[in-house]
Amino acid sequence: MTLRFLNPSHEAEALAFTPAPRPISLAGATVGFISNGKEGTKGFFTHLEALLREHLGVAEVHWRTKGNYSAPAEGAILDEATHWDFAITGLGD
Amino acid sequence: MNFQSTALSARDIAEAQALLHEKGWTDGLPVVLPTEEAVAACLAEALMPPEQLLGIEPVRGRPITAEKVAINAVMAGCAPEHFPAVVTAWNAMLSPPFLLHGATSSTGGCAVLAILHGPQIRELGAGSTFSALGGRDRALNCIGRALRLGLINLLDVRPGEADRATLGHPGKLGWCLAEDEAHTGWETLAEQRGIPREASAVTVMAAMAPRQIMNEWTTAPEEILETYAAEVRANLRHYSIWPGNYLLVIPKQHRTHLEAAGWSKADVQRFVFERARIKRREWSDVGKGAVVRDRGDWEYPAFERPEDVLVLAAGGPAGGFGAVIPPWLGNKSRAVTAPVGVCIDC
Repeated sequence: MTLRFLNPSHEAEALAFTPAPRPISLAGATVGFISNGKEGTKGFFTHLEALLREHLGVAEVHWRTKGNYSAPAEGAILDEATHWDFAITGLGD
Repeated sequence: MNFQSTALSARDIAEAQALLHEKGWTDGLPVVLPTEEAVAACLAEALMPPEQLLGIEPVRGRPITAEKVAINAVMAGCAPEHFPAVVTAWNAMLSPPFLLHGATSSTGGCAVLAILHGPQIRELGAGSTFSALGGRDRALNCIGRALRLGLINLLDVRPGEADRATLGHPGKLGWCLAEDEAHTGWETLAEQRGIPREASAVTVMAAMAPRQIMNEWTTAPEEILETYAAEVRANLRHYSIWPGNYLLVIPKQHRTHLEAAGWSKADVQRFVFERARIKRREWSDVGKGAVVRDRGDWEYPAFERPEDVLVLAAGGPAGGFGAVIPPWLGNKSRAVTAPVGVCIDC
């Protein structure tokens, strides 16, 4: 006897978004950091900004912080991010 | 019924279980096969067509349909009569104040705790006395598990995928409680949150593991409740400073003393609201002195207002054992209560 039953998963085949093209160079670029607001991100981003400016020639770095560790970034930050060449976010603690 | 889900087949139950486990569609325990007949019975119980949309998870844009929720409820062992509570819990979880994505993906590792209210408690045989916090009966175990399986299969909340919990806790297997509404003169938690006593409802909360307290050496309300407040203060010191919805589970033995002294739930809330607060400098006592800085005198209450203290009557008839269930991320995720059988978006 064959047992028949239904697939319990979401069965979604495609991502809801597609990644942006990767930049070839960051020289002269505007980079944004979106922090989740946790204490440990301050030292990390400070060091990262120095590396980006010193070694990759990044021109501008914008720091922004989400209002809630665990919620998506606010619309105003996302709107601003459309003017950046590159964004770094999604970091943990 | 016309189902949108792909039909699967297997030669026998062992092959079916193996398939479901291999695909990552279980919690590691055996499941009930979600046949079309069983899923249709759940949907019929809730008067819902398969395609009915319960909501769209906002971060991932994933639609949550009645059909998929029912499939996972059957897998969890739910009988059709359990399904309306599962649907209601999903409605509540999809409410923005619950912050579903954060609650189910955070390193903090909370569980979704569902609390049953109203006539459904008796109708479903859900227990609220002995071993009230876990391991009790079919209704509680299956409803709680249905939510977890749904999260796994509809939002990829598997450990290491969307679920990034550092530790998690045993409640993540499935966690559902019921209030002991029959053995208290107090208002029910649902009544305090605007639901008539005659209506069934479900409260969901992003909940950390329960912390058991004990006080069998006094009958004074202030002393009994100071023990609960002390546990909340401890949580403010060594876990999270954020104020939010803490759940206090108060057993019969404590309730007897409190009610005999004329204390209502609102009195309990006011007392704990006043007592559960610390100064920032206390973080130095628990290894967190680095973030005290010049703010040592700042006071941090565990609650923004007395009604944020959630008081639940539950537990066996003897024993001075209560529990404090802390929130995952303070007021960033709030407990949400929804009535059964009512569409909150309609």
